[in-house]
Amino acid sequence: MIFAKIKTSLIGLTSVDRASLSLWRCQILAILRIELSKNFWGRRAMLLYLLALVPVVILFLLAIVDPDGASDISRDWNSSQQAFVNIFDALILRSVVFFGSTWIFMNLFRGEVVDRSLHYYFLAPLRREVLVAAKYIAGMVAAAVLFSFSTLGSIFFLYYARGYPANIDFLLDGGGWQQILAYEAITLLACLGYGAIFMFIGLFFRNPIIPGLVVYGWEWINFLLPPLLKKISIIHYLESHLPIPVDEGPFATIVAPTAVWISVPSLLIFTGLVLTLTAIRIRRMEIRYGME
Amino acid sequence: MAVYEHHYKPYTGPLSKAWSRFLVIPRYAYEDLFQLRFFIALYALSFVAPLIFTILIYLHHNVTALAVFQMDVASLIPVNGTFFEIFISLQLALAFLMTVIIGPVLISRDLANNGLPLYLCRPFTRTEYILGKMAVLGLLLSSFTWVPGLLLFLFQGYLAGGGWMIDNWWIGGAILAVCWTQIILLSMLAMAFSAWLKWRTAASAALFAIFIIPTPIGLAIEEIFRTRLGHLFNPGMAIAQLTRHLFRTFGSTEYILSFGESWLVCLGYALVALWMLSRKLRAYEVIS
Repeated sequence: MIFAKIKTSLIGLTSVDRASLSLWRCQILAILRIELSKNFWGRRAMLLYLLALVPVVILFLLAIVDPDGASDISRDWNSSQQAFVNIFDALILRSVVFFGSTWIFMNLFRGEVVDRSLHYYFLAPLRREVLVAAKYIAGMVAAAVLFSFSTLGSIFFLYYARGYPANIDFLLDGGGWQQILAYEAITLLACLGYGAIFMFIGLFFRNPIIPGLVVYGWEWINFLLPPLLKKISIIHYLESHLPIPVDEGPFATIVAPTAVWISVPSLLIFTGLVLTLTAIRIRRMEIRYGME
Repeated sequence: MAVYEHHYKPYTGPLSKAWSRFLVIPRYAYEDLFQLRFFIALYALSFVAPLIFTILIYLHHNVTALAVFQMDVASLIPVNGTFFEIFISLQLALAFLMTVIIGPVLISRDLANNGLPLYLCRPFTRTEYILGKMAVLGLLLSSFTWVPGLLLFLFQGYLAGGGWMIDNWWIGGAILAVCWTQIILLSMLAMAFSAWLKWRTAASAALFAIFIIPTPIGLAIEEIFRTRLGHLFNPGMAIAQLTRHLFRTFGSTEYILSFGESWLVCLGYALVALWMLSRKLRAYEVIS
């Protein structure tokens, strides 16, 4: 009898859960459709396309336009790879992905407040946590697509300069695929980590630029920080997986790179925590458009 | 009084002098600004460096104090171009931060709420409006950049005596030139972004980005193409290089942008900002 009751309640609970999960999935998909069109086709997206194009254009100029560029790359492939990793670290990760994520994820909520449209979401029969999840996924998809193509485009032009046979050898026998996958994975992890931080900042601060400045400064001085403080940053975990180590200069504090099995789960846990905090915050959020 | 007896009566009170009308704008802007606790704290913070540098100059010349502290500040921290360059760079960094906070709302609120016709229907020109808005930043930033810089210079000249000020007059000139260049450039860019973007966060981000993003792009171009031309789009680099040129802290060939190139970059950005302002600042916008 007792078992039957438990069984009934469990079955009941499961079906309720299943129903709400299905509802949430539908709601997330609906919000995703709206947000993705905003993120890819809205006026605010123009800046992102320009930003994502910067490294691609620079490498295009080197490989195609510069008469000596292609031969320089072919002649000294090791130096070219070292130069590329420096560009990837300083330009793609620390500038393009950082500022791009800032723009995408801060706009998710702050942009709605400025457009005076957030109340439409809040008035809909929708859990606010679901809204946070949907918006974060939409931002993540936009950032991942744009910046992955930016990284891939830059790598393409670096490889293009070497010609077909040399590239095939390098890709198949020289570990080229692993390098490309590593660069792509780092870009995605950067979008994941910075995205969570900037969505959080965008919800907590009316003018998110000052906290954004603080995060930017912290990430830039990371090479100077003592080992323990280095670990309280996103860039340390990203740089740990670069296929070729970056030379951080004579003043840098040398720290062993964090292993993949520590850094990737750490970033995921961190993202989860930040999203949880964002969800808690949005539950108590009241809209006051007049303050903007 | 019956309604029909109400009719237009022109203002008959005292008028402000034409040359000083633009100062009305900063007067009201400061009233608002100094009600923000965060702003007051930041403004107070901007006077910490002048205080520390004054003490350093004093210690430099006070033999008794040096003996008491048993230290040789005179040889440790020489008061020369580098000393003043560090001071000005610190203060200009704070000026940038303050501009990011104040600048983006200077014009956007007037445009967003259709307030511009209310200014321009009075005996107040567009130039005076821009001057007034610039004065909000200009006067504020001056109060903790070149004013304390020149006071420090005079203080050092007074304590050093013996023609120090005549020998080092270029330091005073450098303080004025660098500070005014940065103040004018920052004010104009802040106003231009404020007028075009209207959303405060976006305008702050644009101001921040235009000084930060060109640096890694310029460095990437330098690394790949072995040319410094990539830095020609970087106003932050131009100001930094100008500072080093004017304070004479360069070796002969170690600069990234030459003196002329640095001026050219600043002038280029100022002209673009002016064009952006002239396009947006109109009492009525005709949309075809």
